[in-house]
Amino acid sequence: MAAIFGPRANFYTQIVLISAGGVIVALAAMILILPNTGYATDIGFTPPQPVPFSHQHHVSGLGLDCRYCHTAVEQSADAGMPPTHTCMTCHSQIWTNAAMLAPVRQSLAEKQPLHWNRVYTLPDYVYFDHSIHVAKGIGCTECHGPIGDMPLTYKATSLYMGWCLDCHRNPAPHLRPHEAVFDPHWHRTASTPSPAQLMAEYHIHPATLTDCSVCHR
Amino acid sequence: MTAPSTPADLPALRRKLAQETGPRFWRSLEELAETPAFLELLQQEFPPFAAAAVQGFDRRRFLQLMAASMALGGLTGCQKEVEQRQLSPYVEQPPGIVPGLSRHYATATSLDGFGYGVILRHEMGRPLKVEGNPDHPASLGGSSAIGQASILGLYDPYRAQTITQNGQLASDSALRTMLVERAAALGATHGSGLRLLTGAVTSPSLAAQIDALRKAYPQMAWHQWEAVDRDTVRDGARLAFGRVIDTVCDFARADLVLGIESDALSAAPGHLRYARDFAARRRPDDAKSPMSRLYAIESTPTLLGAKADHRLVMKPGNIQHALRLVAGAVKAGPSDWANIPVPQAQELAGLIADLQAHRGRCLVHAGRAQPADIHALCHAINHALDGFGQTVHTIEPVEALPTDGDTSLAELVADIEAGRVDTLFILGVNAAYTAPADIGIAAALRLVPHSIYLGERADETAELCHWHIPAAHEYEMWSDVRAYDGTATIQQPQVRPLYGGRSAHEILAMLLGEARRDDRTALRERWRHASGAADFERFWTEALRAGVVPNSAAAPTRVAPRPDYATALPPPAATAGLSLLYRPDLGLWDGRFADNGWLQEMARPFTRLTWDNAAEIAPATAERLGLQQSDMVELALDGKKLRAPVWILPGQAAECVTLRLGYGRRRAGPVGTGVGVNAYRLRSARNGWNAPGLALAKVSGRHLFASEQHEWLMHGENLIRATTLEQLHGKSPVPEAGTSDASLYPGFAYDGIAWAMSISLNSCIGCQACVIACQAENNIPVVGKEEVARGRIMHWLRIDRYYEGPLDAPATHFQPVPCMHCENAPCEVVCPVQATVHDSQGLNVMVYNRCVGTRFCSNNCPYKVRRFNFFDYSGDDPRPRESWNPEVTVRGRGVMEKCTYCIQRTRQAMIEADKANRPIADGEVLTACQQACPTQAIVFGNKNDTASAVARRKASALDYAMLDELNTRPRTSYETAVRNPNPSIKTS
Repeated sequence: MAAIFGPRANFYTQIVLISAGGVIVALAAMILILPNTGYATDIGFTPPQPVPFSHQHHVSGLGLDCRYCHTAVEQSADAGMPPTHTCMTCHSQIWTNAAMLAPVRQSLAEKQPLHWNRVYTLPDYVYFDHSIHVAKGIGCTECHGPIGDMPLTYKATSLYMGWCLDCHRNPAPHLRPHEAVFDPHWHRTASTPSPAQLMAEYHIHPATLTDCSVCHR
Repeated sequence: MTAPSTPADLPALRRKLAQETGPRFWRSLEELAETPAFLELLQQEFPPFAAAAVQGFDRRRFLQLMAASMALGGLTGCQKEVEQRQLSPYVEQPPGIVPGLSRHYATATSLDGFGYGVILRHEMGRPLKVEGNPDHPASLGGSSAIGQASILGLYDPYRAQTITQNGQLASDSALRTMLVERAAALGATHGSGLRLLTGAVTSPSLAAQIDALRKAYPQMAWHQWEAVDRDTVRDGARLAFGRVIDTVCDFARADLVLGIESDALSAAPGHLRYARDFAARRRPDDAKSPMSRLYAIESTPTLLGAKADHRLVMKPGNIQHALRLVAGAVKAGPSDWANIPVPQAQELAGLIADLQAHRGRCLVHAGRAQPADIHALCHAINHALDGFGQTVHTIEPVEALPTDGDTSLAELVADIEAGRVDTLFILGVNAAYTAPADIGIAAALRLVPHSIYLGERADETAELCHWHIPAAHEYEMWSDVRAYDGTATIQQPQVRPLYGGRSAHEILAMLLGEARRDDRTALRERWRHASGAADFERFWTEALRAGVVPNSAAAPTRVAPRPDYATALPPPAATAGLSLLYRPDLGLWDGRFADNGWLQEMARPFTRLTWDNAAEIAPATAERLGLQQSDMVELALDGKKLRAPVWILPGQAAECVTLRLGYGRRRAGPVGTGVGVNAYRLRSARNGWNAPGLALAKVSGRHLFASEQHEWLMHGENLIRATTLEQLHGKSPVPEAGTSDASLYPGFAYDGIAWAMSISLNSCIGCQACVIACQAENNIPVVGKEEVARGRIMHWLRIDRYYEGPLDAPATHFQPVPCMHCENAPCEVVCPVQATVHDSQGLNVMVYNRCVGTRFCSNNCPYKVRRFNFFDYSGDDPRPRESWNPEVTVRGRGVMEKCTYCIQRTRQAMIEADKANRPIADGEVLTACQQACPTQAIVFGNKNDTASAVARRKASALDYAMLDELNTRPRTSYETAVRNPNPSIKTS
């Protein structure tokens, strides 16, 4: 009767064991790494837009306040997108014939809205409210990244629930004085009130901020 | 769900109740009988599910499918979730519209012509939710189920959308051409062939237009028809006063109320206001306004009767005798009436003594289904007891032209048959369906050379008319309407006509040759004259904003019944034999709301039926005829026959069969067609409400009802607690042996806001407005009759109905049951994925996205308030996407859901308060059910704030928690029901 295990049996066993280990490591790496890659988080995602609007030019260059266009940000859950008329307050006077602004002029002439592609999308079961974040000293750039320096708007944060919770568990390091909320280039300085002082000033109680019902209804 | 077939051993049940061995409170005959089928049902959650699940499945197949699901389930994670979404801002933003913020606009809805003020919540220009208008005297902020459901009617995709001529599509210009031609032809004959058929009209501007039309076409005639009419009310006024007078009741001043099958809480013009005032006098622990006493005499249960301290069940003929006896005794009629022999004389004697003791502070009210002599007697009794000017006020009729509908419609048919009608305009009246069979309008309509129907739906009348013009919904047009006390509201459109509907004003204007008329301008011109305001613009904007035209209520008139009114009264009806009682339906009214899924699926307060009507009979009659629940019977009346299923209704008068109107529609869209049986097929103009001489024969077959009767049964003691005022004042109410809060775990301190709710069993009248309000606010889908029958109704809030006492005349209790938000919630500990958890305000929250649909939570919920999406009910709902409330997640298949205490409203209020760094004020947040409730039975707020209304209610000795022996510590509690019976009447 021939031997059950041939001369190469050990070799094959080792190959199988090593590759099984490799597969497990690869799977674990996939599970841990893949969700945090740009592919999954969309960080850096720059969707094409009908007009290549530059926040860098309008905000950092010209010094427009965020609220000039996003008018509802202090009152409503929605920050608000500017109606075509807002664009035309200036662009009826300057760059009136610029080719890149043709869709804006067309929108006004045909009374058809511009269709911007969403950069930040939340699932339908998340009820985010801009106004309360702004009122409690969360600056625009906390979520929107260096928006004032973006020639084209890209997604700067993952919007994962874990990312939301990082701040809801410990909001103090993310707070700013009220007057700095809309400053795209704000940095903490020596004269800035301490995070603890800001927490007290804004009456923030992190213990209740992680309730499911804060965001989900 | 389906009633398990009862071996209805009714005599045995009677004995059981008499011996008091049975439960004190019971929900159904089956529960009382403790049939094996019922006991089995009690043990199961979603009872018929087990049966459905095993069909066509064996274990091997099940495991295969489960394995495949597990293996493939992960793959969904490999796909990116959302496609590219877009943001589309306005071109020019309308002033005042802020995305994400709601706006509110006042207007009014109407029912049988009478207006109820409402405020609609809009988001980005879309009306989404109806609320009562707190400034409107007929609403005071409350609303009815029908009012709440009107928003679904607005968005109903099955409304007519195109003009048709002889069933073929027709163009707008063809319609205009036709109208111009008709106007010219009719003008030549001074309108001798022109007939107009409308419903009851209180709108001053519509009345003015019709007046103008009658001037332009002097020979025309105006007919009016309402199936649920007020003819008897008007006839009663004619008998008593010699002319038509409207009465306005003041329940707030009535220490004693006598309701004669009264619809004061359910259907009478102004019923929402009456309910508010009535409930304000039924608060046992309100020292300022002592609790009133309520007597009810009725043949079929009414909402008012359910609250009565003494409810006398009588046949219609006996009611007439009894009221004559009362009138005779209080000197409101011939003194020999005081000797009329009537049943239940002892109770009536107590009532008479009580009435005399409450002179000037008592109120007698009769429902529209009572004959004219009852109404005349009520006027006489109110007058004799000095009620006029105190509890009853008389005003000139609110209707533009009070008309007897039966006569009016019969005249129209006679004219048509005589060939005197050339052109007939029907404005919004589905006469072909609702007219009594003996008037024969359907056949007559075919004889009219030119018939034009303005209706919201392609219904039975549209089918018989040459032209059908889609009508605008009330929320799509400019108009005006008057309320029960004459108060006018200018109705403003909430949205442009979604389906190209037109208003009656527009059609009449075209007929008057004002082709380019604009409804708004015309209405403004009319009100500019009518108001006489110096600053008209201010008057106009203020009237639109408030939803009420200031000082437009009718001034009281002074009238007194004619002294000889008694001689003119028709004799009482015979009391022998079976009678058929036609009654309007609480949801469908006369059938006009048959294609409203919310109203079809609303469980009726007494029968708990959905998607059906039935021949409702008394237990005694069922016993005599050997009938059981769900048997089919053939009703025969004046040679006409109708088959209907039997529903045994405790509290119904013996030998009386009640049949609700509005069912059995032939053309009511996919929702309403063929639901229930059509009572109009038996109805005759002569006996519009109570028809004697009914023959009833059992036929073969049984009916499958979808009733919420056995649905969501709770196992436990003291679900309802009830006592009497005497006991309450005599000695302190026996507090239940205090449940211990002992726990192995440390308690959680709710030191911020602790949301809580208190529901008063004394105030709840069972009107179901809260149920529909909850459905509208929280995107609750309609599931259909089959699913309801399987026990899968989705309502987050149900109103349980309990009976107490004898089978034939039990006392009734209504108990709204939302999620209790237990502090020790049994649902939370069994959820394997933490999809239901607590938040720091003490809310038991559902995280839909975590839910994997094990339904363990529902099984472990002792209150049975959790609902499961067995199918994609929301996805299958045909209502347009834009009509859902964007503030609430629309749940998908396989997800558990339940009452959230309207978390979208509490969260929004907390955000607003937090932005201003202030605490939330008491009453700042109203839940949808609380806001809709006409009687303010529901109070919601922060129980940690001891000054809040909810904390004060909970501090009362009458406050109790359901099933508190389970130590669930529910946040929702109830106020013990307290009755105020007359001590001189011994209850048997």
